[in-house]
Amino acid sequence: MDEIDKEILWLTQDGIGFEERPFLHAARRLRISEEEVVARLRRLGEAGVVRRFGTRINPRKADLMANAMVVWNVPEDRVAGVGAVMAESPDVTHCYERRTIPGRWKYNLYTVLHCRDKADALRRVAALSRATGVAEYRVLFSTEEFKQRPSGRIEPAQEPGRVQ
Amino acid sequence: MHLDPLDRVLLQQVQDDFPLDPRPYRVIGEALGMPEQEVMERLARLSRRGVIKHIAPILEPGSLGIRSSTLVAMRVPKERMHEVAAIVNEYDGVSHNYRRDGDYNLWFTIAAAGDEELLRTLEEIVRRSTIPPGDVLNLPVVRRFKLDVRFRFLEEEDDDGRDR
Repeated sequence: MDEIDKEILWLTQDGIGFEERPFLHAARRLRISEEEVVARLRRLGEAGVVRRFGTRINPRKADLMANAMVVWNVPEDRVAGVGAVMAESPDVTHCYERRTIPGRWKYNLYTVLHCRDKADALRRVAALSRATGVAEYRVLFSTEEFKQRPSGRIEPAQEPGRVQ
Repeated sequence: MHLDPLDRVLLQQVQDDFPLDPRPYRVIGEALGMPEQEVMERLARLSRRGVIKHIAPILEPGSLGIRSSTLVAMRVPKERMHEVAAIVNEYDGVSHNYRRDGDYNLWFTIAAAGDEELLRTLEEIVRRSTIPPGDVLNLPVVRRFKLDVRFRFLEEEDDDGRDR
Protein backbone atom coordinates (compact mmCIF):
# COMPACT_ATOMS: atom_id res chain seq x y z
CA MET A 1 0.00 0.00 0.00
CA ASP A 2 1.64 3.24 -1.11
CA GLU A 3 0.72 6.80 -0.20
CA ILE A 4 -1.72 7.18 -3.14
CA ASP A 5 -3.49 3.97 -2.09
CA LYS A 6 -3.85 5.34 1.43
CA GLU A 7 -5.22 8.60 0.09
CA ILE A 8 -7.77 6.78 -2.08
CA LEU A 9 -8.93 4.83 0.99
CA TRP A 10 -8.99 8.03 3.04
CA LEU A 11 -11.13 9.78 0.42
CA THR A 12 -13.60 6.90 -0.01
CA GLN A 13 -13.84 5.33 3.45
CA ASP A 14 -16.85 7.44 4.49
CA GLY A 15 -18.71 6.42 1.35
CA ILE A 16 -18.82 7.29 -2.33
CA GLY A 17 -21.66 9.36 -3.76
CA PHE A 18 -24.76 8.21 -5.62
CA GLU A 19 -23.78 10.06 -8.77
CA GLU A 20 -22.80 8.93 -12.24
CA ARG A 21 -19.06 9.21 -11.60
CA PRO A 22 -18.56 8.59 -7.87
CA PHE A 23 -14.77 8.22 -8.14
CA LEU A 24 -14.27 11.53 -9.94
CA HIS A 25 -13.84 13.46 -6.69
CA ALA A 26 -10.96 11.25 -5.49
CA ALA A 27 -9.38 11.21 -8.97
CA ARG A 28 -9.35 15.00 -9.16
CA ARG A 29 -7.95 15.43 -5.66
CA LEU A 30 -5.12 13.02 -6.45
CA ARG A 31 -4.65 14.15 -10.06
CA ILE A 32 -5.02 10.64 -11.42
CA SER A 33 -7.69 9.09 -13.65
CA GLU A 34 -10.86 7.46 -12.36
CA GLU A 35 -9.64 4.26 -14.03
CA GLU A 36 -6.54 4.34 -11.87
CA VAL A 37 -8.61 4.92 -8.72
CA VAL A 38 -10.76 1.85 -9.35
CA ALA A 39 -7.78 -0.23 -10.54
CA ARG A 40 -5.96 0.57 -7.30
CA LEU A 41 -9.05 -0.32 -5.24
CA ARG A 42 -9.25 -3.62 -7.10
CA ARG A 43 -5.58 -4.33 -6.36
CA LEU A 44 -6.06 -3.49 -2.68
CA GLY A 45 -8.85 -6.04 -2.64
CA GLU A 46 -6.68 -8.69 -4.27
CA ALA A 47 -3.87 -7.93 -1.80
CA GLY A 48 -6.23 -8.39 1.16
CA VAL A 49 -5.89 -4.82 2.45
CA VAL A 50 -9.54 -4.24 1.55
CA ARG A 51 -11.77 -7.15 2.51
CA ARG A 52 -14.38 -6.04 0.01
CA PHE A 53 -15.69 -2.90 -1.59
CA GLY A 54 -19.37 -2.57 -1.03
CA THR A 55 -22.28 -1.58 1.07
CA ARG A 56 -22.46 -1.34 4.82
CA ILE A 57 -26.05 -1.99 5.76
CA ASN A 58 -27.97 -1.27 8.92
CA PRO A 59 -29.68 -4.62 9.47
CA ARG A 60 -32.48 -3.24 11.61
CA LYS A 61 -33.49 -0.79 8.89
CA ALA A 62 -33.49 -3.67 6.43
CA ASP A 63 -36.10 -5.60 8.45
CA LEU A 64 -33.51 -7.81 10.19
CA MET A 65 -34.66 -7.02 13.70
CA ALA A 66 -32.94 -9.75 15.71
CA ASN A 67 -29.20 -9.65 16.45
CA ALA A 68 -28.27 -12.94 18.09
CA MET A 69 -24.85 -13.65 19.48
CA VAL A 70 -24.61 -17.34 20.21
CA VAL A 71 -21.97 -18.69 22.57
CA TRP A 72 -21.20 -22.38 22.14
CA ASN A 73 -19.35 -24.81 24.36
CA VAL A 74 -17.42 -26.98 21.90
CA PRO A 75 -15.03 -29.76 22.96
CA GLU A 76 -11.48 -28.58 22.35
CA ASP A 77 -10.70 -31.23 19.73
CA ARG A 78 -13.81 -30.35 17.71
CA VAL A 79 -13.44 -26.55 17.52
CA ALA A 80 -11.74 -26.48 14.10
CA GLY A 81 -14.38 -28.66 12.47
CA VAL A 82 -17.37 -27.02 14.13
CA GLY A 83 -16.00 -23.53 13.42
CA ALA A 84 -15.61 -24.40 9.76
CA VAL A 85 -19.19 -25.68 9.51
CA MET A 86 -20.62 -22.61 11.21
CA ALA A 87 -18.52 -20.30 9.04
CA GLU A 88 -19.99 -21.96 5.94
CA SER A 89 -23.51 -21.01 6.93
CA PRO A 90 -24.79 -17.89 5.14
CA ASP A 91 -26.79 -17.11 8.29
CA VAL A 92 -23.58 -16.46 10.23
CA THR A 93 -21.78 -13.12 9.82
CA HIS A 94 -19.13 -13.60 12.52
CA CYS A 95 -17.58 -16.78 13.85
CA TYR A 96 -14.68 -16.65 16.32
CA GLU A 97 -12.98 -18.94 18.75
CA ARG A 98 -12.26 -17.11 22.01
CA ARG A 99 -10.42 -17.83 25.21
CA THR A 100 -12.38 -19.35 28.06
CA ILE A 101 -12.06 -18.44 31.73
CA PRO A 102 -11.89 -21.67 33.72
CA GLY A 103 -14.47 -21.77 36.47
CA ARG A 104 -16.22 -18.65 35.21
CA TRP A 105 -16.91 -18.91 31.48
CA LYS A 106 -16.73 -22.10 29.47
CA TYR A 107 -18.00 -20.98 26.05
CA ASN A 108 -15.30 -21.00 23.39
CA LEU A 109 -17.04 -20.45 20.04
CA TYR A 110 -19.02 -17.33 19.13
CA THR A 111 -21.34 -16.73 16.20
CA VAL A 112 -23.47 -13.74 15.26
CA LEU A 113 -26.67 -14.00 13.22
CA HIS A 114 -28.93 -11.21 11.99
CA CYS A 115 -32.46 -12.45 11.44
CA ARG A 116 -35.98 -11.16 10.84
CA ASP A 117 -37.10 -11.84 14.38
CA LYS A 118 -36.23 -13.92 17.44
CA ALA A 119 -38.19 -16.97 16.30
CA ASP A 120 -36.38 -16.96 12.97
CA ALA A 121 -33.03 -16.64 14.76
CA LEU A 122 -33.79 -19.47 17.18
CA ARG A 123 -34.81 -21.73 14.32
CA ARG A 124 -31.52 -21.05 12.49
CA VAL A 125 -29.49 -21.53 15.67
CA ALA A 126 -31.21 -24.87 16.30
CA ALA A 127 -30.29 -25.91 12.77
CA LEU A 128 -26.64 -25.05 13.43
CA SER A 129 -26.77 -27.04 16.64
CA ARG A 130 -28.12 -30.08 14.80
CA ALA A 131 -25.62 -29.72 11.95
CA THR A 132 -22.67 -29.66 14.35
CA GLY A 133 -23.93 -31.80 17.21
CA VAL A 134 -23.09 -29.01 19.68
CA ALA A 135 -25.96 -28.97 22.14
CA GLU A 136 -24.64 -26.65 24.82
CA TYR A 137 -25.12 -23.04 23.85
CA ARG A 138 -26.76 -19.78 24.83
CA VAL A 139 -28.44 -17.25 22.56
CA LEU A 140 -27.82 -13.66 23.65
CA PHE A 141 -30.09 -11.25 21.80
CA SER A 142 -29.11 -7.61 21.72
CA THR A 143 -31.68 -5.35 23.31
CA GLU A 144 -29.96 -2.01 22.82
CA GLU A 145 -27.20 -0.85 20.48
CA PHE A 146 -24.87 1.70 22.08
CA LYS A 147 -22.21 1.74 19.36
CA GLN A 148 -21.62 0.08 16.02
CA ARG A 149 -19.07 1.49 13.63
CA PRO A 150 -16.00 0.50 11.58
CA SER A 151 -13.06 -0.44 13.77
CA GLY A 152 -10.68 2.19 12.46
CA ARG A 153 -9.79 4.73 9.83
CA ILE A 154 -6.98 5.17 7.36
CA GLU A 155 -4.96 8.31 7.99
CA PRO A 156 -2.56 9.32 5.21
CA ALA A 157 0.73 11.04 5.96
CA GLN A 158 -0.63 14.30 4.67
CA GLU A 159 -3.75 15.88 3.23
CA PRO A 160 -4.52 14.24 -0.14
CA GLY A 161 -4.00 16.40 -3.20
CA ARG A 162 -0.58 17.60 -2.13
CA VAL A 163 1.27 14.56 -3.45
CA GLN A 164 2.11 14.56 -7.16
CA MET B 1 -38.52 0.50 6.10
CA HIS B 2 -40.48 -1.39 3.49
CA LEU B 3 -38.20 -2.80 0.80
CA ASP B 4 -39.87 -3.50 -2.51
CA PRO B 5 -38.64 -6.40 -4.67
CA LEU B 6 -36.44 -4.11 -6.78
CA ASP B 7 -34.86 -2.60 -3.66
CA ARG B 8 -34.03 -6.13 -2.53
CA VAL B 9 -32.48 -7.14 -5.82
CA LEU B 10 -30.46 -3.93 -5.88
CA LEU B 11 -29.29 -4.25 -2.27
CA GLN B 12 -28.17 -7.80 -2.89
CA GLN B 13 -26.20 -6.72 -5.95
CA VAL B 14 -24.44 -3.69 -4.40
CA GLN B 15 -23.64 -5.66 -1.27
CA ASP B 16 -22.29 -8.80 -2.92
CA ASP B 17 -20.66 -7.58 -6.09
CA PHE B 18 -20.08 -3.86 -6.34
CA PRO B 19 -18.39 -3.16 -9.67
CA LEU B 20 -15.14 -1.24 -9.35
CA ASP B 21 -15.70 0.78 -12.48
CA PRO B 22 -15.71 4.54 -13.11
CA ARG B 23 -19.49 4.26 -13.78
CA PRO B 24 -20.49 1.58 -11.25
CA TYR B 25 -24.20 2.41 -11.21
CA ARG B 26 -24.42 2.03 -14.98
CA VAL B 27 -22.77 -1.41 -14.69
CA ILE B 28 -25.21 -2.43 -11.95
CA GLY B 29 -28.10 -1.13 -14.01
CA GLU B 30 -26.98 -3.17 -17.01
CA ALA B 31 -26.77 -6.30 -14.86
CA LEU B 32 -30.27 -5.76 -13.46
CA GLY B 33 -31.98 -4.24 -16.48
CA MET B 34 -32.52 -0.98 -14.57
CA PRO B 35 -31.66 2.51 -15.84
CA GLU B 36 -28.56 4.03 -14.22
CA GLN B 37 -30.65 6.96 -13.00
CA GLU B 38 -33.04 4.63 -11.17
CA VAL B 39 -30.14 2.73 -9.58
CA MET B 40 -28.76 6.00 -8.19
CA GLU B 41 -32.16 7.25 -7.03
CA ARG B 42 -33.03 4.03 -5.26
CA LEU B 43 -29.63 3.81 -3.55
CA ALA B 44 -29.85 7.45 -2.47
CA ARG B 45 -33.29 6.80 -0.99
CA LEU B 46 -32.06 3.67 0.83
CA SER B 47 -29.20 5.78 2.15
CA ARG B 48 -31.48 8.62 3.32
CA ARG B 49 -33.67 6.10 5.15
CA GLY B 50 -30.66 4.59 6.87
CA VAL B 51 -30.79 1.14 5.27
CA ILE B 52 -27.46 1.77 3.54
CA LYS B 53 -24.86 3.35 5.82
CA HIS B 54 -22.46 3.87 2.95
CA ILE B 55 -20.73 2.29 -0.02
CA ALA B 56 -17.04 2.17 0.79
CA PRO B 57 -13.93 0.01 0.99
CA ILE B 58 -14.24 -2.28 3.99
CA LEU B 59 -10.76 -2.68 5.39
CA GLU B 60 -9.14 -5.67 6.99
CA PRO B 61 -8.40 -4.80 10.65
CA GLY B 62 -4.72 -5.63 10.06
CA SER B 63 -4.56 -2.91 7.37
CA LEU B 64 -5.53 -0.39 10.02
CA GLY B 65 -2.70 -1.46 12.31
CA ILE B 66 -4.98 -3.54 14.51
CA ARG B 67 -3.13 -6.57 15.87
CA SER B 68 -5.17 -7.43 18.98
CA SER B 69 -8.85 -7.54 19.67
CA THR B 70 -11.10 -8.81 22.36
CA LEU B 71 -14.71 -9.10 23.39
CA VAL B 72 -15.57 -7.95 26.87
CA ALA B 73 -18.66 -8.91 28.85
CA MET B 74 -19.75 -7.05 31.97
CA ARG B 75 -22.41 -7.56 34.60
CA VAL B 76 -23.81 -4.07 34.96
CA PRO B 77 -26.57 -3.14 37.41
CA LYS B 78 -29.65 -2.16 35.41
CA GLU B 79 -29.79 1.36 36.81
CA ARG B 80 -26.17 2.02 35.83
CA MET B 81 -26.37 0.62 32.30
CA HIS B 82 -26.48 3.90 30.35
CA GLU B 83 -23.80 5.52 32.45
CA VAL B 84 -21.39 2.59 32.01
CA ALA B 85 -22.22 2.23 28.29
CA ALA B 86 -21.35 5.91 27.80
CA ILE B 87 -17.94 5.44 29.44
CA VAL B 88 -17.24 2.43 27.18
CA ASN B 89 -18.31 4.37 24.09
CA GLU B 90 -15.73 7.08 24.73
CA TYR B 91 -12.92 4.80 23.56
CA ASP B 92 -11.96 4.84 19.86
CA GLY B 93 -10.88 1.21 20.03
CA VAL B 94 -14.45 0.21 20.92
CA SER B 95 -16.31 -0.45 17.68
CA HIS B 96 -19.28 -2.46 18.95
CA ASN B 97 -21.13 -2.03 22.22
CA TYR B 98 -24.44 -3.78 22.87
CA ARG B 99 -26.76 -4.49 25.71
CA ARG B 100 -27.72 -8.17 25.59
CA ASP B 101 -30.01 -10.59 27.39
CA GLY B 102 -28.52 -12.58 30.22
CA ASP B 103 -26.48 -12.33 33.33
CA TYR B 104 -23.62 -10.56 31.56
CA ASN B 105 -25.60 -7.76 29.99
CA LEU B 106 -23.07 -5.41 28.38
CA TRP B 107 -20.89 -6.72 25.53
CA PHE B 108 -18.30 -4.66 23.68
CA THR B 109 -15.26 -5.17 21.48
CA ILE B 110 -11.89 -3.49 21.88
CA ALA B 111 -9.32 -3.36 19.07
CA ALA B 112 -5.77 -2.08 19.51
CA ALA B 113 -2.33 -2.02 17.93
CA GLY B 114 -1.10 -4.60 20.44
CA ASP B 115 -1.92 -6.59 23.55
CA GLU B 116 -0.45 -4.01 25.89
CA GLU B 117 -2.58 -1.15 24.58
CA LEU B 118 -5.61 -3.42 24.64
CA LEU B 119 -5.13 -4.36 28.26
CA ARG B 120 -4.49 -0.74 29.24
CA THR B 121 -7.78 0.33 27.63
CA LEU B 122 -9.69 -2.48 29.32
CA GLU B 123 -8.18 -1.73 32.72
CA GLU B 124 -9.07 1.93 32.39
CA ILE B 125 -12.67 1.12 31.43
CA VAL B 126 -13.02 -1.26 34.37
CA ARG B 127 -11.51 1.26 36.79
CA ARG B 128 -13.63 4.18 35.59
CA SER B 129 -16.85 2.17 35.49
CA THR B 130 -16.17 0.78 39.00
CA ILE B 131 -17.56 -2.57 37.88
CA PRO B 132 -15.81 -5.21 40.06
CA PRO B 133 -13.24 -7.24 38.06
CA GLY B 134 -15.16 -10.36 39.11
CA ASP B 135 -18.05 -9.09 36.99
CA VAL B 136 -15.92 -8.64 33.88
CA LEU B 137 -14.99 -11.28 31.29
CA ASN B 138 -12.10 -10.59 28.91
CA LEU B 139 -12.52 -12.93 25.93
CA PRO B 140 -9.72 -12.41 23.40
CA VAL B 141 -9.82 -13.94 19.93
CA VAL B 142 -8.03 -17.25 19.56
CA ARG B 143 -8.99 -17.84 15.94
CA ARG B 144 -11.16 -16.13 13.37
CA PHE B 145 -13.32 -18.48 11.30
CA LYS B 146 -15.45 -15.86 9.62
CA LEU B 147 -16.01 -12.14 9.37
CA ASP B 148 -18.38 -11.35 6.55
CA VAL B 149 -21.21 -8.99 7.38
CA ARG B 150 -23.45 -9.56 4.40
CA PHE B 151 -27.12 -10.35 4.43
CA ARG B 152 -29.62 -12.10 2.23
CA PHE B 153 -32.37 -9.91 0.88
CA LEU B 154 -33.97 -12.22 -1.64
CA GLU B 155 -35.18 -15.17 0.39
CA GLU B 156 -38.35 -13.72 1.91
CA GLU B 157 -40.78 -15.00 -0.72
CA ASP B 158 -39.45 -18.51 -1.15
CA ASP B 159 -38.55 -19.20 2.47
CA ASP B 160 -40.96 -21.92 3.49
CA GLY B 161 -39.87 -21.98 7.10
CA ARG B 162 -37.96 -25.22 6.94
CA ASP B 163 -34.41 -25.55 8.07
CA ARG B 164 -31.94 -25.37 5.27
